[in-house]
Amino acid sequence: MRRFVKDNSLSLFFLAAFVLALVGQSFAGNAAVNADRLAEGGSALSWPAYVTSSDFAVDVAENWQSEYLQFLLFILATIWLVQRGSPESKKPGEEGEENDAEQWTGRHAAPDSPAWVRAGGLRQALYGRSLGLLMGLIFVLSWLTQSVTGTAAYNTRQLAQLQDPLSWGEYVLSADFWNRTLQNWQSEFLAVLSMVVLSVYLRQRGSPESKPVGAPHEATGVEG
Amino acid sequence: MRFRGVSAVAVGWTLLACVAGCAPAAAPSAARAAQDFYAAVQGGQAERACALLAPEAAESLRAGGQSCVTAIGELDLPGGRVLGTEVWGDEAQVRLSGDTVFLHRFPAGWRVRGAGCTSRGDLPYDCEVST
Repeated sequence: MRRFVKDNSLSLFFLAAFVLALVGQSFAGNAAVNADRLAEGGSALSWPAYVTSSDFAVDVAENWQSEYLQFLLFILATIWLVQRGSPESKKPGEEGEENDAEQWTGRHAAPDSPAWVRAGGLRQALYGRSLGLLMGLIFVLSWLTQSVTGTAAYNTRQLAQLQDPLSWGEYVLSADFWNRTLQNWQSEFLAVLSMVVLSVYLRQRGSPESKPVGAPHEATGVEG
Repeated sequence: MRFRGVSAVAVGWTLLACVAGCAPAAAPSAARAAQDFYAAVQGGQAERACALLAPEAAESLRAGGQSCVTAIGELDLPGGRVLGTEVWGDEAQVRLSGDTVFLHRFPAGWRVRGAGCTSRGDLPYDCEVST
């Protein structure tokens, strides 16, 4: 058990942080929605009713879709685009999906390489793109969920304010949908940009997200 | 990558989207509440009609110094037959042949939050009584 915790401390830490933040969001969101409902002459929503409501679901989904889009684009962009000096980038000249020797595939697969790599063919090709595929799938499903739950949350607000509801097709063209989407996207892209650029010039001793403290600014694709 | 994991993710997301996004089957009860309200108004049962208003809607009728029971009889509330109902969360819109009604679902049931409403396009409806 102790070994399990030690070997998986990074993911356990972020899992705990995620759960705490999600629970905290549920209480803060419930309070915010109830303030609006009471101001409009309605009734308060209980916490169990709130966490199964479209308001909570859209607030979760809009953030998830942008996070997975961020990872999807970062994973794919770093195949072909480089940033000289950044530990987040491959070295200039290494752009592309690389050959079998560099990727331990084909006849260069090791005895302990994952099963689908040793199987070769379509399974190897699929496995070799599985990270981007899953990130992309979660992004698409999250964005679809945002659009469906966002339609419901928006229409609930519309009716409370004595206005007509929208269809799903009308909602995905609406200012509310694109405001929610783009405000999340801009922050995700800024975060990646910050990490890529700042890590060229700044260091964090001991973190694999940083270059070694004494590494020159021009050193690319090295970890601390 | 295990396909079982992928299909579990897809099913989970579909359920989440449906639970939170699908409108509940509450349209008939919202429409019934709107019809009960108009039956009370048109039947001269002012006290019953006021009891079917949301508290803040009833309160708004007391603004001119009158009671809800007196004021409600002076409103232009044509009503009519139900043409369609939309329910989203705890809010409902019932379109009648002569009118549009907005309702909110309180713990005690649906109550009218706007009645005698006419459309103003993208702006909020103009209602004879509202919260």
